[in-house]
Amino acid sequence: MTRTGPGVLLIVTAALTGVLCCSPALAANPLPDEASPPAAMVWTAPDQEAAKKRAAEVVPFVLAVMDECRLCRQQRLRDMGLSVQDQSESYSLLDSPIIRETEDHYGPVRFMHAKHAGVTKDCALCHHYRPLDEAASETVRCSACHQEPFQKDHPERLGLKAAYHQQCMGCHREMDKGPIDCRGCHRKNVPDHKDHLQLVEGAGPFQVTAECLRCHKPAGEDMLKSAHWLWKGPSPYTLDHRKDVELGKATIATNNF
Amino acid sequence: MTHYAAPIKAKFWTPGVVVLAVLMAAGAAAIAARFIGGIGYVSNLTTARPWGLWIGVDVASGVALAAGGFTTAFLAHIIGRHYYEAVVRPALLTAVLGYTFVVLGLLVDIGRSWAIWKPMLYWNPTSVLFEVAMCVMLYLNVLYIEFLPIVVERFKGRVKLPGLLAVLNGPLDGLLKLADTVLPKIMWFFIIAGVVLSCMHQSSLGSLMLIAPTKLHPLWYTPMLPLLFLTSAIAVGYPMVVFEATLATTSLKLDGEMNILTPLTRVTLFLLGLYLALKVGDMVVRGTYVYLLDFTAQTNAFIIEVLFGVIVPWLMLLSPKLRRSRRALFIACTMIVGGVLVNRINVFVVGYRPPISEANYFPAIGEVLVTVGLIAALMFVYRFIVTYLPVLNKPEQEVSA
Amino acid sequence: MGLNRRNFFKLVTAAGAAVAGSDGAAHAWQSRAPSDSVGCLVDLTRCIGCRKCEEACNRVNRLPPPDRAFEDLTLLDKKRRPDERTYTVVNRHVSGEIDARDQLVPTFVKLQCMHCQDPACASACIVGALTKKENGTVHYDVSKCIGCRYCMVACPFEIPAYEYHDPITPRVMKCTFCYERVHSENKLPGCAEICPVEAITFGRRSDLIDAARQRIKKNPGRYIDHVYGEKEVGGTSWIYLSGVSFERVGFNALPETPIPRLAESIQHALFSYLWSPIVLFGMLGGVMWASKDKRDRSGNGKKGGGQ
Repeated sequence: MTRTGPGVLLIVTAALTGVLCCSPALAANPLPDEASPPAAMVWTAPDQEAAKKRAAEVVPFVLAVMDECRLCRQQRLRDMGLSVQDQSESYSLLDSPIIRETEDHYGPVRFMHAKHAGVTKDCALCHHYRPLDEAASETVRCSACHQEPFQKDHPERLGLKAAYHQQCMGCHREMDKGPIDCRGCHRKNVPDHKDHLQLVEGAGPFQVTAECLRCHKPAGEDMLKSAHWLWKGPSPYTLDHRKDVELGKATIATNNF
Repeated sequence: MTHYAAPIKAKFWTPGVVVLAVLMAAGAAAIAARFIGGIGYVSNLTTARPWGLWIGVDVASGVALAAGGFTTAFLAHIIGRHYYEAVVRPALLTAVLGYTFVVLGLLVDIGRSWAIWKPMLYWNPTSVLFEVAMCVMLYLNVLYIEFLPIVVERFKGRVKLPGLLAVLNGPLDGLLKLADTVLPKIMWFFIIAGVVLSCMHQSSLGSLMLIAPTKLHPLWYTPMLPLLFLTSAIAVGYPMVVFEATLATTSLKLDGEMNILTPLTRVTLFLLGLYLALKVGDMVVRGTYVYLLDFTAQTNAFIIEVLFGVIVPWLMLLSPKLRRSRRALFIACTMIVGGVLVNRINVFVVGYRPPISEANYFPAIGEVLVTVGLIAALMFVYRFIVTYLPVLNKPEQEVSA
Repeated sequence: MGLNRRNFFKLVTAAGAAVAGSDGAAHAWQSRAPSDSVGCLVDLTRCIGCRKCEEACNRVNRLPPPDRAFEDLTLLDKKRRPDERTYTVVNRHVSGEIDARDQLVPTFVKLQCMHCQDPACASACIVGALTKKENGTVHYDVSKCIGCRYCMVACPFEIPAYEYHDPITPRVMKCTFCYERVHSENKLPGCAEICPVEAITFGRRSDLIDAARQRIKKNPGRYIDHVYGEKEVGGTSWIYLSGVSFERVGFNALPETPIPRLAESIQHALFSYLWSPIVLFGMLGGVMWASKDKRDRSGNGKKGGGQ
């Protein structure tokens, strides 16, 4: 009943690259710049590309952590002179292959590491333990300790997905800030419609619309109440603050035909 | 003291029989609806209340009230009280029909009626229901064999099939003659087997509900449930005979047979008393009398069951004068029959209360129609058979008795 | 009358003795629970009520689409039960507890088949369509089922549901513990795999009980000191941890005795090797033979049962 099999393999194969790239967070590693566009004229955000690359890494599993209370850890970090100033990455994409292995329902979360650190001003809030290995960095990424769920030898170690969710949602709830629903952080993947569609070859626009409406009837009904259909309508966001905001061609254009 | 049974010489289509036919038609419609729309279409059965009227009445009560068959067989054939032979055949017919309709009721109730043979192939010895099913199946066959001599007696030497089928007259008659010589020699086996099988499944019918300790109300849930079911089934046997004989002899204007029925109920006095003692003793030992004044549907049903189904008729039977009165005896026996009926309904339906969903159940009109239709059909077939087969005592007996 | 009465006595005492004897035999009753089964630990303090487990269950078991979308969280407040189209449901309970911001603290409770160690349904099933598998699953084999619904009568958790609206081939519907996925494909049950917060921990049952005890020990303020399903009805494969008393979130108090124990003990005491029917048959045969003799001697002159 072990579920570590494939995971262990992954870790082993990824170990070499992992060791290289799992840069100790505090030993500031300059951003690798080779993520810039190749020959083609497609522009990509360099930090996004870097984050994608980092997200794809699987780092070696931390077998044991130092047993210390949160207060002890906070004090020790302060004594060592470490603070949120020392972070190396300001932005991460939470898109680990460990989770991708079983899940494909939501898009990855874009996590503003620096902003969160700035708000909480406390590394130990998320980096709640350090590896027992003294050679290791003081803070490691979540997926160093949290990988596949339900590992036989680490019954109380959460899997990566649960660790993310418990940490993020727990803190958001506690601080009464930040989203705690799915779509607050994730974009929902549009499921593959290939099997659902019943369209004949060379269907016209009306047939396509009718086919969409076959399942998404409420979406069609909603559309009939929107400014897109009515040519005018109240703004959903400013309604209670400024009364006169109206949207739609009928309200903002004088000669609207 | 001799007697002999004979077909009834009476008009078949009386108004009563017409009423039965109408009820049967309604039941047939409900059964058709069940096999078109599913059990859910005609019943109020749910996840939490999977057994309802059909199991409580058609099956559990049907089996209990068919107990007249084995109790009279025991009396007349095993311990040799041939004085009571006169009631054996009607009681046997009641049992044959009762069990046949139990199976018909089951066919309506179980979801996959076509799979009813599967318990013969896939055995689960831990299942009480498996044992009940096996016993009922075997007992039904035993009952048919026990009934066979009546058919043989009627048709032996008188097989006259019409038209082309006439070629079969000879072989069929031979078969009947063979049965006539063989059956009496082996009948002892089936009579004993019938009593044994009855004792087994009558008691196990009570064990059925032992699997639901959290659901069945403590007034009924007792490890003694199988014993209570067995004693009540044995106790209801003779009252059922009285009930059914009185109804039959009244409606067919036959001899009231009081000279047989009255002594028959003396045994009942003891058996019913035993059942009452066990029931009250169990209640006292387990301390469940604390529930008696709860005034919930369950406790009220229990009080009705014991008071009007056991105590009152038992007190009535205590009086020899009442026992000799045809009317009083009929009332007492009807109450006993009703008491066992209510007991079975209580155990399987009223007393069954799922604690999590607390789901309530009341039979749907469709369920009632099926049950009423099946009972009407049973009475119809009974009426039909006594008209054409020698089951009931000949009216002339009134003179000679 | 004497003979008659004596024999009824015999009948009754034979049955009575057997029932009484079953009390002794009850000690001989052996649990047939598999020794190394898997299970799930549901931590109600972790569950966030997202209904993803319901969605995953529906998907991996190919159940019919729901009436309301799984994203619709308003359904949580309706006290739902698993039914013939839904193997698992999550309900929201409020115990009256209030958090720092005066908000009622909800407790979400996932319901599904508990996969009892000694399942009443499997003991009851007339054809053995329900069986306890070696890995802990209580498995339903539709090819044997006759639809008697005795399993539903037996289940102390009121879980098995029935396709009442199928006239010919209705099935008993209940959580499969994703038997194929877990047993053959070495995957997790759909619900345990998708749960975003690991409110469902999958593992060996014995490990889960240890883990549950550890959680209570490490965080006594968070949990009440009770692992539901560790002992209830002799133990279940699905066990629960809660922050509020289990009675307040819809669990009923259950005995620690396995449900099938009494019925099986009685059946075993009465019918092992069919001893009681054989003895009864012999007894009745003897009586029949003896009374036949008597009748031959006395002809028809006796006043049976006289008044």
